[in-house]
Amino acid sequence: MSETGPILEVRELVKTYGGVRAVNGVTFTAARGAITGLIGPNGAGKSTALNVIGGFLSPDGGRVIFDGEDVTGWPMHRLARRGLVRTFQLARVFGGLTTIENLLVAAPGHRGESAWGILAGKRYWGKQEEQLVLQAREMLRSFGMEAKADEFARNLSGGQKRAVETMRALMMRPKLLLLDEPMAGLSPSLSRQLEDLFLKLTGEGMSLLLVEHGLDTVERICGKVVVMAQGKVLSEGRMTELRTRKEVQDAYVIG
Amino acid sequence: MLVQAIEAIGFGIATGAVIALGAVGFSVQFGMSNILNITYGSLMTLGAYAGLFLIDRGINAWAALVIAGLVIGVVSVGFHRWLLAPLVRRGTRAFALVIVTVSAGVVLQYVIVAFAGPDAKSYGEQSGQTFRFAGFLLTASQVTIIALTLVLMLGLHLLLTRTTLGRAMRATASNRILAQSCGINTDLISDTAWLLSGALCGAAGVALAITTVSFDFTLGPIFLIPMIAAAVLGGIGQPYGAMVGGLVVGIAGELAASFANPEYSEVVAFAILILMLLLRPRGLFGSASATRRLTA
Amino acid sequence: MEYYVVVLLVYLGTDLLAAWGLNLEFGVAGVANLAFIVTIAAGAYTYAVCTLGPPAAMGSFQQYVGGFTLPFPIAVAAGTLVGGVIGVLIGVTGLKRLRPDYQAVAMLVVSLMAATIVSADTGFLNGNAGLGLIPAPFSDQDPQVQRWAYVAIVAVCCVGGYLVLRRFTDGPIGRSLRAMRDDEYAAAAIGKDIVAMRLMVQAVGGAFGGLSGALLVAFIGGWSPGAWNYIETLALLTAVIVGGMGNNRGVTIGTFLIAILILQGVQFLPQSINEFRIGLREDLGWIVLGILTIVFIWTRPQGVIAEKRPRYGGSP
Repeated sequence: MSETGPILEVRELVKTYGGVRAVNGVTFTAARGAITGLIGPNGAGKSTALNVIGGFLSPDGGRVIFDGEDVTGWPMHRLARRGLVRTFQLARVFGGLTTIENLLVAAPGHRGESAWGILAGKRYWGKQEEQLVLQAREMLRSFGMEAKADEFARNLSGGQKRAVETMRALMMRPKLLLLDEPMAGLSPSLSRQLEDLFLKLTGEGMSLLLVEHGLDTVERICGKVVVMAQGKVLSEGRMTELRTRKEVQDAYVIG
Repeated sequence: MLVQAIEAIGFGIATGAVIALGAVGFSVQFGMSNILNITYGSLMTLGAYAGLFLIDRGINAWAALVIAGLVIGVVSVGFHRWLLAPLVRRGTRAFALVIVTVSAGVVLQYVIVAFAGPDAKSYGEQSGQTFRFAGFLLTASQVTIIALTLVLMLGLHLLLTRTTLGRAMRATASNRILAQSCGINTDLISDTAWLLSGALCGAAGVALAITTVSFDFTLGPIFLIPMIAAAVLGGIGQPYGAMVGGLVVGIAGELAASFANPEYSEVVAFAILILMLLLRPRGLFGSASATRRLTA
Repeated sequence: MEYYVVVLLVYLGTDLLAAWGLNLEFGVAGVANLAFIVTIAAGAYTYAVCTLGPPAAMGSFQQYVGGFTLPFPIAVAAGTLVGGVIGVLIGVTGLKRLRPDYQAVAMLVVSLMAATIVSADTGFLNGNAGLGLIPAPFSDQDPQVQRWAYVAIVAVCCVGGYLVLRRFTDGPIGRSLRAMRDDEYAAAAIGKDIVAMRLMVQAVGGAFGGLSGALLVAFIGGWSPGAWNYIETLALLTAVIVGGMGNNRGVTIGTFLIAILILQGVQFLPQSINEFRIGLREDLGWIVLGILTIVFIWTRPQGVIAEKRPRYGGSP
């Protein structure tokens, strides 16, 4: 896979959902190592587009090229293993597992899950497991949740569950992380912390694509921003420019 | 062979009528409360035995059908109100609810056995004279049941489309919260739906007992599957679809029994149900939104 | 009396194997396999046709396929294997993403359908009459020795089975299966191959069912469609729910409570009850079982022993 070129290329993507063409020929690219924003008024089809790219929905037309490979129509788990990871708008934690287990379960390529690994037992995967536990504890510490490590995830608060969702995605070491409204419902200070985290991650080489309504956040952290309206790409560019373009202003008033 | 086929179709219409009767009740319950009520089978059995109780005391079979129907209707309302609805309120998941209805069915079934015994029962000779017309060979009781089913279906149709109650029922079934905000007492409407569908359930049980030579405590559960098949075939939650489904399942079953092994009429119903669930869960007449209710 | 203790122990052992298999599928992985009894039946029938010898040799009063005379261990292994295969086949039908309660009904129907087909086709497995005179091992020994030797065999299978079971319910794969149970889509989003995991647990669970059936039928000597009613799956499911879903200890206790205390315990009720109505004691057993299931789902769905998760590394 090429190390240059955009991390994501979406070409003429089409998705019909509930009898409506929610995504109607969407084309854009997301640059490697950058944070790309996807904005637009309600009903523009942003979340649907994200769901299709992330494999949650299958496309009715068009192509998705990820890291140089055509991944159109790939199921979610295959995309995840390839490095394209999505988080959900409403945090979906595994309630019957503890917080730390929610992180451990996300670790890719655990030897304990292969057929041989299951039968061979702890001797085979024990070492890897220890390292993962250390990694998970470290991540919990950086999010301030180490005290909740052995708590059942279903007992966490809404904000804590969101944090777990984010941590879990990070445990997967994704190449491209898809985020659907990550700041929704967060206080300004938490929002800021998350923004700093995102900037730090892209500094380390990760790419992000996020759907976001908070235009201040978008302006602060996004490189390129893609504006969608009525299922199509309306405009793209940096947020500061977009604010001034008439068609973008109109879309937000009308759409 | 054509004669055989037509005769089988005739039987199929008679069986189909009873299946339709039960399937419609089942479908209404699902449409109203989104619950697959497996206890329905044992409630039919209860209806059949209630009918037996009345017939043994000299009451006419058809009157018994009405009375037993009403009794089961009341039992069904209670069952929903005091067992199922509270569980739903507590957030019990759909799967657990099925287990509850299966378990309740087992309990009811064995309570019936405990009181009435496991041996086969009979309503006695109920058939009446045999008619032959248009190649069909039907007994008077079969004809009566077909007529009864048609009347009840028509009555249900009129209720749903021409009365305020019917409109309220349709509204509640389609969007409970919206119906509430329109001032509809959805709990009362729900109870009414369970009363009516429960009555159909009980009536179906008695009708089954009338048309079979003898029956035992397995009567309901055995016929529940063809009824669910009919309901799913027609589009679960859709009473009209269930009527058509009943006919299809009945006729298909009788044709299979006539030309192949009589045991296979059951298998036909199973196969229809499985195939529908795997290939087209929304049934022949269900809407796309029905599919979303069915798929995970 | 001593004979009865043997019967209880054998029933307990085979029920444990079955319950562990069902718990793996349902309690751990969230696969609602209400057709589980079919894997048990498959194991039983396989053992039977592997040990009965050709139909003609016994005067052809039973008709069935197969008819080998394999030694006990091989026949049991065959039963286990076939159980696993049937488990996968059932799993394949369950792959269509239906709402969970629809799935449950579909599986019940599969179970009924299998019973009906076997009942109807008299040449396949002797139809409704079932198979009888199935040979047990050690038949040349003193009956008491034979009985207790059999208990020992079942015990060994249980111990071995439990060790294998823990490989699947604990550790990383146990986590992933539970993740699938809790939220299938989220599990796929973190890279878990849901289809592969489902089929795997149904193969393993089915193997446990097959083993259970094979061991049981060798002891009882006969097997017919009446023995694998859909209600039997309900009994196992109750054991899993009441005992505690998802954890092996809970399920073990649940099996003891349901299979032994209730279903067998009714035998100890006064004989006078059976004089009132024949078979009433068994009926009461089922009534109690059904009520118990409902009560637990209402008040304590996590079961008697709730699932506990392990701690990792040091405490905070």
